Amino acid sequence: MPRSLPVTKPFGSIVMNKPIPRPFSLLAEVTYRCPLHCPYCSNPTQFSHTMVELSRDEWKRVLNEAAELGALHVGFSGGEPLQRSDLAELVADSRAAGLYSNLITSAIGLSRPRAEELKAAGLDSVQISFQSDEAPLADTIAGTRSHDNKLEAARLVRELGFPLTINTVLHRGNITRVPQIVALAEALGAERLELANTQFYGWAFQNRAALLPTREQMEDATEIALAAKNRLLGKMEILFVAPDYYGTRPKPCMNGWGNRHLTVNPVGDVLPCPTAGGIKSLRFDNVREKPLRWIWTESESFNRFRGTEWLPEPCHSCEFREIDFGGCRCQAELLTGNAAMTDPACSLSPYREQLTRFVESIQGVTEKSFEANTSSVAYRENPV
Amino acid sequence: MLSRARLQKDKVTGKPILLYPEGILILNPTAHAIVTHCTGEETFEEIVAKLAAQYGALPEDVREDVTICLDRFRSLNLLEVLS
Repeated sequence: MPRSLPVTKPFGSIVMNKPIPRPFSLLAEVTYRCPLHCPYCSNPTQFSHTMVELSRDEWKRVLNEAAELGALHVGFSGGEPLQRSDLAELVADSRAAGLYSNLITSAIGLSRPRAEELKAAGLDSVQISFQSDEAPLADTIAGTRSHDNKLEAARLVRELGFPLTINTVLHRGNITRVPQIVALAEALGAERLELANTQFYGWAFQNRAALLPTREQMEDATEIALAAKNRLLGKMEILFVAPDYYGTRPKPCMNGWGNRHLTVNPVGDVLPCPTAGGIKSLRFDNVREKPLRWIWTESESFNRFRGTEWLPEPCHSCEFREIDFGGCRCQAELLTGNAAMTDPACSLSPYREQLTRFVESIQGVTEKSFEANTSSVAYRENPV
Repeated sequence: MLSRARLQKDKVTGKPILLYPEGILILNPTAHAIVTHCTGEETFEEIVAKLAAQYGALPEDVREDVTICLDRFRSLNLLEVLS
């Protein structure tokens, strides 16, 4: 071996001159099981038939390895993380590793003993999803009765002193309820409200014709959300995520591939984002076979789209390439069949026209209520 | 006092950091000194006086630093002001 080369390659093969960044957050998808059936779920529409969820000991190793890599936040998600009876042990493991933990939950199963157990284990914060501001619409969207339980759980979370985030995924069926959703979050004493327009992956992609709001709905909601954000500054933080189908520049997805974030799914596959498993041309490594550090720094899947060198045109010579990194790989895969293309949410993408045609096709929809429309929606199913 | 945030040392850089839902603040030495006083036990003026004494600085300079720092925390909804 020539002496000028180091024995071990310090960086991945794609970004030779830039050091590998550290991850700041880990999304721990501890199970795909979920009592809700939301049609906008970003989980895979087909689950592997050989699903053996990671054990508590395997998660403990993952949490420690993520913290060693530099991760500071862990989100326990799924599916519904409360479906795992050992969740409090995982929380305690994350606390011991120095991670700031967030439970991302539907709140179904968050009884008082369970919430107290999680508090004692060191859980830092809780995020509860609300499908709308009131039943029965919320229950219709969730595909099960759940709204009243959520209200009760949210009050319990505040009573126990957890910081509370409310997350509502917005779509055509609930986007006109934004003022009421803001009022609900205020009444529940939430410190943070996420009003996130549906991102079209997984189940949501299948249902996008029924879920995409009209331009007028989207513009109204944006205005209301921004006014609420200003009004509540310092009391409740409001994050409004616009639907990128209406944008002209793509979102800087995950702040770059393999740049800030990693997801470990229920069976141990390590992904740069929760939906990356849908990219057929990539094989994702598993924590049962490789150390997390190797996967983050060395694996082909994490290096394939890292940085900006790999970008195709029109991105490679674009002045925005360090801002949006060419957008979202999963969206490119879904809309062009090739994850290495420019995200079609960008006005410069050759596929933008096709996306615009779809967006225009739903503008003329006669407004029917979500309840009247459920026959055209595929509800999320559970792994078998 | 600082609510919903946790102060700890970053394993990678050794720097003090503040962790809160969906956020991370890397603290400079000034901000770190201020944070250690945000316990809910001391008033604004007591914090200024103590830091001024501790660092041998003019109270008006310290007051400006503390104001800027606490305003930042307040805008991030991290500050709970006790009466």
